[in-house]
Amino acid sequence: MSVSAAYAWVMGVAFVAHCLLNQNSKVAEGAHCAGVYSPVVDVLRAKGWRIEQMPCPELAFSGLNRFWAVREQYDTAAYHRHCQRLAVAVADVIGLRVQQGEDIVLIGIEGSPSMGVHITSSDPERGGRPRWPDGTPEHTDGEGIFIEELRRELENRGIGFPRVAGETHALADHDEAAQRAALEATLDG
Amino acid sequence: MQPDERSFRIALTADRYMNPPAGGLDGLAVLAEAGWGVIQLPAEDYPAPVAERILAEVADQVREFHSHGYELVVVGESGQLDGALAVVGVSVPDQVIPASAAELRAFLAARPVPAALRGR
Repeated sequence: MSVSAAYAWVMGVAFVAHCLLNQNSKVAEGAHCAGVYSPVVDVLRAKGWRIEQMPCPELAFSGLNRFWAVREQYDTAAYHRHCQRLAVAVADVIGLRVQQGEDIVLIGIEGSPSMGVHITSSDPERGGRPRWPDGTPEHTDGEGIFIEELRRELENRGIGFPRVAGETHALADHDEAAQRAALEATLDG
Repeated sequence: MQPDERSFRIALTADRYMNPPAGGLDGLAVLAEAGWGVIQLPAEDYPAPVAERILAEVADQVREFHSHGYELVVVGESGQLDGALAVVGVSVPDQVIPASAAELRAFLAARPVPAALRGR
């Protein structure tokens, strides 16, 4: 089965977190721009990478009125099953691309309980009435739950996990130039 | 805390406008410039089971946006989207198959204010 590689000059395929193309999916008060988060898209376009959007696990599971949450609050059997189902759909497409010998990268969201690739969020005590002071430390090394399930699904299929980059806007030390450089380095392999 | 900057506007966008062939219309660039979010539809040449799984997830997300009054449109051919949306009880949004960036811009500019924003 051959699938399209019609983009003008395809260097590879970037699987991007849903919200990078649709900030409307963010938790309330989390949208950094109107729709498409251009700093990431601009780099992908400039370097000739095909774009594939992954689904937003939290939107479909908890809806638009969901609260801000840390990894522990989503670390349930039901949410893992939900992410497994989504991971199958993404792994299908990654598999097709890998069969064609295309280079793959995965671009997640650092600090996200679901889409973090190097940094997720953690607070074992969080729960109950949703109030906590601004600046509560919650970011910690690790992967989000969807990324973890995608890694497992690809492993089950004998597909190596792609190179990853993370969008860092949610982190206190976000630096757009540094993020761009890190993304370009990931794309360049 | 920064203000939330979402537009409440989302375009379900065919792959050929996301990853245009040489000389094709870069719909993603137009949508980004106009402040619309994007949900990508599966490429036309994906095997049916793969496309169906993607569309089922797209439909779940569309239902959520639809029920909260977000403005939705379809840009390009929608494939089997109608069937996937029927499962979640949502009709296919208004559609454009633009031949040029100007046509797409004009279509987007003519859309109504999202229901979620009316009265704000």
